[in-house]
Amino acid sequence: MVSIDLLAQTVSNGVLLGGIYALAALGLSLIFGIMDVVNLAHGHLLMLGGYVAIVLFTMAGLSPLVGMLAAMIVLFVIGVVLQRALLERVVDEGIEQPILVLFGVALVFQNLGQHFLGSDSQSTELTLGLGGIDLGPVLLSPSRTVTFIVAVLLVVLTWLFLEYTSTGHAIRATSQNRAAARYVGIDTDRIYMLTMGVGAALAGAAGSLLSMLFPIDPYVGWSYLLKSFAVVVLGGVGSIIGTLVGGIILGTAENVTALFLGGSYRDVMTFTIFLLVLLLKPEGLFGSGGGGE
Amino acid sequence: MNTERFALGVPSSKRTVAAAFVVFAAMLVVPFVTTAYYTGLAMTALVFLMLGVSWNLLAGYAGQISLGHAAFFGLGAYVAAWVTTPAAAGLPALPFPLSHPIVALVLGGVGAALVALVTGPVMFRLRGHYFAIGTLALAAIIRLVLTDKRSISGGSTGYYLNAGMGEVPTYLLTVVVAALATIGIYFVVNSRLGLGMRAIHDDETAASGLGVDPLRYKMYAFLVSAFIAGLAGAAYALNSLYINPTSTLAVTWTVDTLVIVILGGMGTVAGPLFGTVVFMIIDNGLTSVLGGLATTVEGVIIILVVIFLPNGIYGYLKSYVAERRGTDDAATSD
Repeated sequence: MVSIDLLAQTVSNGVLLGGIYALAALGLSLIFGIMDVVNLAHGHLLMLGGYVAIVLFTMAGLSPLVGMLAAMIVLFVIGVVLQRALLERVVDEGIEQPILVLFGVALVFQNLGQHFLGSDSQSTELTLGLGGIDLGPVLLSPSRTVTFIVAVLLVVLTWLFLEYTSTGHAIRATSQNRAAARYVGIDTDRIYMLTMGVGAALAGAAGSLLSMLFPIDPYVGWSYLLKSFAVVVLGGVGSIIGTLVGGIILGTAENVTALFLGGSYRDVMTFTIFLLVLLLKPEGLFGSGGGGE
Repeated sequence: MNTERFALGVPSSKRTVAAAFVVFAAMLVVPFVTTAYYTGLAMTALVFLMLGVSWNLLAGYAGQISLGHAAFFGLGAYVAAWVTTPAAAGLPALPFPLSHPIVALVLGGVGAALVALVTGPVMFRLRGHYFAIGTLALAAIIRLVLTDKRSISGGSTGYYLNAGMGEVPTYLLTVVVAALATIGIYFVVNSRLGLGMRAIHDDETAASGLGVDPLRYKMYAFLVSAFIAGLAGAAYALNSLYINPTSTLAVTWTVDTLVIVILGGMGTVAGPLFGTVVFMIIDNGLTSVLGGLATTVEGVIIILVVIFLPNGIYGYLKSYVAERRGTDDAATSD
């Protein structure tokens, strides 16, 4: 039998992990909400972000938190370049072309990662000299607590950016009505580039944070893509609070499943939740997007 | 545009079928005039051709971009394994005619189609992007569950088949099945069924307004597509005599299928044929030159072809020929 203490510990770890899932999903949700493109390479961008932190950690001994900032910059540039060089030519051309192009991009990232970084999984370590937070039955480990706080902070910063800056307003206007946004003088091509850059940077940040908790290898992309998409669907497209709640639900459900059914059912649970939500409540818990779109 | 393509497509597709017959007849003699190495290559090409043809029906004609094709391929392979070698999974042995490899091959297709029958109505509640990601998730669930169920899948050790039909008979059987699948698809897409599929691809709302039930036509496409992918998987298993859940259900099969169809040209009967030939050359030629970076090149090819040759190599050749013929006609009429 599973003790209450172990269950409480599992749930709290799941909640903390959920913060990172929310961060990963926010990037996907932004790109989907604004450009109407499912970024099939999102998990692979996350993987690249993880590797930026890993390389800086193993080669230069840099703290993965610094690595995360570097990863965000690198991934922002990759996102902008992807939009400029490839997506610009296929966005608004129906759904098949962007899906296939991004699928190709994902393959390239995975294969390059495998070729140049090796297939072995690697991770980073957060050394802070702090103990965990002891809450009686539950011990919040320092790395899980810090990654959760950083992830939530980045989600809140993104929300503030969208809500209170003029660029943020332009992004939201573009997502609501692209033609109207152009009429009032918004350079929507630039907005798309920025969206792809920010979306990729958020994926990169999530990857760096995950590298402190779990090993990363070049094949994790598909799994994190599906997890991020599951969170987007759970929370509803375009809802930031929904994304946070969705991330926490998913993180918790995964950990509890792993506790009762074994680790190999962690992902099965994620994908099952994902399919169930798509089928039963396609608009998500908080959003207005729909599985029928 | 699509009606135009359809009207122009009929006579040249007939020539394509005639050409396909010649190709398949030539494939039949491969094991008798070449080495085992080339027969092996031809076998791989046939498996890919079946995968390409089946995905093309669902994605190219009915417009449903599935990213879960590997699941049907893998299920077909496992059904063939369970039927021919039940002992390894602790299943009771089937009586003689049922355990024959030919029956196993057909049952592989049937097994995959049954899974499509059960999951289809659920998956088709999703559209567009959601359908693509949903099928990716479905395939991931099937792979993870089979990997975990070591007793029936062999887990990471894999599953050894005891089909005992010999390499050449398996190859000849595969040629026949691939030919039937390719030519069968030709008749499907040129029938009312195929027209219905194209109609929902072009405009689902308009098609359903005209009395074409989208779900029904999507299901037809899904079932036939899964059946042929299952046949391909079963043929693969009967030939290689070893499968395991990680590689036989891997996303790579989906990827290679997409490359073949996109390279050749989606929504054309000849597309997958062209695609398979080019893919085999790339896969074998480039792998020896590039080694581990072959997948990168495949990814780049997908990207470039989607952006610059959206109708694939066959579509490009066809429009090039049509253009040439157009100018020739203009010249003679002057």
